[in-house]
Amino acid sequence: MSESLLNSSRFDTDRLQRYAIHAGLYGVAILFVLPYIYMVSLSVQPTEFAISSVPHLIPPAFTLSHYSDLLTDSLIVQWVINTFIVATVATILVLVVDSMIAFSLTRLRWPGQSILLSIIVASFMVPFYVNLVPLFTLVADLGLVSDLLGVILPAVANPLGVFLLYQFFRDIPEEYDEAARIDGFSTFQIYSRIILPISKPILSALAIFVFVFNWNQFIWPVVVLQDQATFTLPLGLVVLRDTFTFQPGLTMASGVIAGLPLFVLFLLLQDRIIQAVQFQGTTG
Amino acid sequence: MVPSIDALNRRETIDGVLFALPYLLFFCLFLLYPLLEGLYMSLFEWNPLVPANSTFVGLSNYTRMVQDPAFWNALMNTIYFVVLTVPLMVILSLALALGVNREVLGRRYLRTIYFSPYILTVSIVGIVWSLFLTTEFGPMNYVLGFVMEQPPNWLGDPLLAMPVLAFVTNWWLLGFNFVILLAARQNVPERLYEAARLDGAGTWRSFCDVTLPQMRNAIAFVVIIQFIQQFQVFGQPYVMTDGGPNNTTTTLVFYLYDAAFSQQQFGYAAAVGYLLFAILVAVSYVNYRYIGGDGT
Repeated sequence: MSESLLNSSRFDTDRLQRYAIHAGLYGVAILFVLPYIYMVSLSVQPTEFAISSVPHLIPPAFTLSHYSDLLTDSLIVQWVINTFIVATVATILVLVVDSMIAFSLTRLRWPGQSILLSIIVASFMVPFYVNLVPLFTLVADLGLVSDLLGVILPAVANPLGVFLLYQFFRDIPEEYDEAARIDGFSTFQIYSRIILPISKPILSALAIFVFVFNWNQFIWPVVVLQDQATFTLPLGLVVLRDTFTFQPGLTMASGVIAGLPLFVLFLLLQDRIIQAVQFQGTTG
Repeated sequence: MVPSIDALNRRETIDGVLFALPYLLFFCLFLLYPLLEGLYMSLFEWNPLVPANSTFVGLSNYTRMVQDPAFWNALMNTIYFVVLTVPLMVILSLALALGVNREVLGRRYLRTIYFSPYILTVSIVGIVWSLFLTTEFGPMNYVLGFVMEQPPNWLGDPLLAMPVLAFVTNWWLLGFNFVILLAARQNVPERLYEAARLDGAGTWRSFCDVTLPQMRNAIAFVVIIQFIQQFQVFGQPYVMTDGGPNNTTTTLVFYLYDAAFSQQQFGYAAAVGYLLFAILVAVSYVNYRYIGGDGT
């Protein structure tokens, strides 16, 4: 009797605790989602509602005029294209050059490679802003101010990918290379037909990471891109916000356009993306 | 004819260098060279238009910086921002990770939601929250209007602007730490908790004796990463406050950017960059020594 009483009260505190945890977790989740709802909602309601003193989280009337205005009156299509070019070209370049050097550092033996590796790893410590001014003068000397290449090329120097691929390649058994060599594979064939196919998971994780990073890059494009026609979305949004101060719907619509591609990518590939982040955490 | 060992070694060296070369070109040109060039520039009153006409000034850019109250203001603002973001972000993401690790409904959706802001660019984050908090038509102050006479002007109040930026930053970047800590928690062997329970340890005791020590490396990692990242904050003040009101949100990188690209003082800005770098190296070293411990 007393034991069952004890059990039931214990059961109640357990249940209470469970409710409290759920309430906390979902409370935070609502706070996380609220700005999204507000953004999408403002982007589809007429301006008179958006700037009225009574805000509407649920649109009282529906319009797509902000989106059509953006398409006709702003450079947003150009910005989408620019951002896409920056993110895609940077990703391809990073995958090629990072996998090549990681291959060289892990599968080939040559003098000086360990010193080289420590220099690359040490360069992790260099925060981007130290190079902000000298990198700008360099890019200016190369004639790449207001040129997408001025954004893309410096991004390829980031050592993160080299480090991630180095760790992955290092753990691929030597036997694969030896067997391939006996079959008469050249070094390039070992790289392209053995190592790269085995490394698909890490290569795709790195690709997603580099793509997202470059799509969202902010401070460096702000410095390099000085002509609005060459802007990427993150810079363009700020211009729109400053131009259309009292048309928040328009600004929000531009935010939806800029955020949606990555959001869809994230929903489709979220396990991969989250794994890529967690991988950094376990190896860093 | 069978190639000699020497020839094979030479062949491998040539291949090795050829495969390393493409990345090394990018690395040397866009990372190593600017790093050295910046140190050199920091010793000059740099002429951006005609670099050859720059005048050598020795360390005076550095001494000028130390004497500039605006620099100290930016340094203090940055430290304030780091204090407002890093501890809260780590504690909150740890709490959420431990919560989601329990048997909760819809944990997969919760994970998606918490992580999702991380993939947004800083300008979306800044713009949406600015509008959310605006005094004219923002929903925040509309709600507060029912309980307060005069809801605060969040981004216009010198006392509130920085905490608001810190709050928004927490919202934006919490998910990154959350997923790392969640993975670390899932790697803690359950038998350790069973052993602790058998020893009569309650929730709090097993948190202190099992969870914290087992997750130590992951926690140290997010602390160090967040410290380095938040010390470099730039986008949030650039988008949301333009360094105001009264320069209360002018951070160090904002100050550096302003010196370089608004005032064209390239040599001075390069010096600011180098000094920050030195601070960061020193603090990371201390972090690494005292929290990183046995990791890496």
